[in-house]
Amino acid sequence: MKKGMIQATDAFERITHWLLAISCLVLCITGLGMMFHSFNFVGTMMGGLKSLKYVHNFTALIFIVALYMAVRMWWKEAGVFVLPEDLDWIKAAGGYLWHVDKVPEVGKYNPGQKAFFLVVALCGSLMVVTGLIMWAPLIFPVWLVRWMYPLHALGFVAIFSFFFVHLYLGTIGSPGSAPAMFSGWVTRAWLLKQHPKWLKEMEEHGTLVVYGEEKESIEHGH
Amino acid sequence: MKKMELVKLIDTTRCTACRGCQVACKQWNELPGLKTKNWGSYQNPPDLQWNTWTLIRFNEVADKDNRVKWLFRKDGCMHCTDAACVKVCPSGALYHTEYGTVGIHHERCIGCKECMAACPFEIPKYDRDTDKVYKCDLCYSRIKDDQQPACVKSCPTGALSIGAKDAMIKKAYDRVKKLGGDANVYGDQFVDGTHVIYVLQEKPEMYDHLPKHPRVPFSVVAWKDFLKPISLLAAGGVLAGSFLHYIIHGPKTPDDIQENKTQGGE
Repeated sequence: MKKGMIQATDAFERITHWLLAISCLVLCITGLGMMFHSFNFVGTMMGGLKSLKYVHNFTALIFIVALYMAVRMWWKEAGVFVLPEDLDWIKAAGGYLWHVDKVPEVGKYNPGQKAFFLVVALCGSLMVVTGLIMWAPLIFPVWLVRWMYPLHALGFVAIFSFFFVHLYLGTIGSPGSAPAMFSGWVTRAWLLKQHPKWLKEMEEHGTLVVYGEEKESIEHGH
Repeated sequence: MKKMELVKLIDTTRCTACRGCQVACKQWNELPGLKTKNWGSYQNPPDLQWNTWTLIRFNEVADKDNRVKWLFRKDGCMHCTDAACVKVCPSGALYHTEYGTVGIHHERCIGCKECMAACPFEIPKYDRDTDKVYKCDLCYSRIKDDQQPACVKSCPTGALSIGAKDAMIKKAYDRVKKLGGDANVYGDQFVDGTHVIYVLQEKPEMYDHLPKHPRVPFSVVAWKDFLKPISLLAAGGVLAGSFLHYIIHGPKTPDDIQENKTQGGE
């Protein structure tokens, strides 16, 4: 770790993130294996489509736990839009789509990230409810069960699309972001560019953790 | 039998409810009998089961003069042309045969039960022990070998017959003409035509468990014909969009730290 790096996430946040991410990815891949006959080969790798069904169903249980942890942890930070500053950012599209002289400053999560969180939280919950009913369809009325499949597919469309946006913006689309979810340490330059308000908040509250430095809270006397 | 579209005709007006077909079906398909309950009807078992692919339904209905009519209907897979079960089956276990019927590869069935919710006639039934779904395959093993299905072979009254699609449909309409009254042909006008059709003595709504207007549920159409392709389009669109963003607008890279001191956040 280089001196001067700033801690963006703690270990618990990263574990939750990856538990959710990996279980979601396994569910997407195994789900595709059942959704398209041309993807049936995914099941072959698992010893048949029936095994794939079990992998899908039981990975879902991990997903439920991870989703609960994620919603509980990020709800307050990423689940609520703050007006009008979030609106200003949306009007400028965060400077992602066209040239903006000065992107409105955002805190820990920008509105784009908040939208992604809400899609994961809401569509994820939709996937859990519809999926559980599909797991035990015989105890529910058939008119209800029938609608679970298209709703499950709808949730998939939303999550799968946002997944690629997330992958792009977490890696090559925004260099310096990925370490936040691997080591947890980011550069000051990245924070200034992506979350300037959050950097200021951490400095003001003395919660900024800089690698190789004493915690600033001591100086601030908090 | 020649590779042609087959239709099985069930003339309910000739059925005496002897249930020979029910027994023959079990015998040919080597299906066990399970303990059942006396629920006050000859209809036994009460419903189709994983081990009962065809069932005579006994129906007591009163006509407008309050005379009781006893209606018999042989229930089972209708072998739809536009079969919802085939549409939703994720593993290809359910498939259209060269005769137009709907076959089932049991070794491919994963027991997801999606066909059970999709079928407008509620035909496929699930067995917990094998974790698989079962239904009539119109004796594919027999018709392939130029034999009639076991039920047709066993029928003593001529209520059941099988043959080329057009000839059987004509036979059904001829019979209905002769019968007159409320008699009607059921099946050829739904789901692009079923490969099992009925001659019914009474209107369809008089029979238990017989949908008046069977069709592929709208949920199945929304799911398979709309959302399925949309999912690929959306994923492909987002991937292409990300790539274009990268080469046109470029990534959002942090500025050099010195620059930032004067400029602030972009």
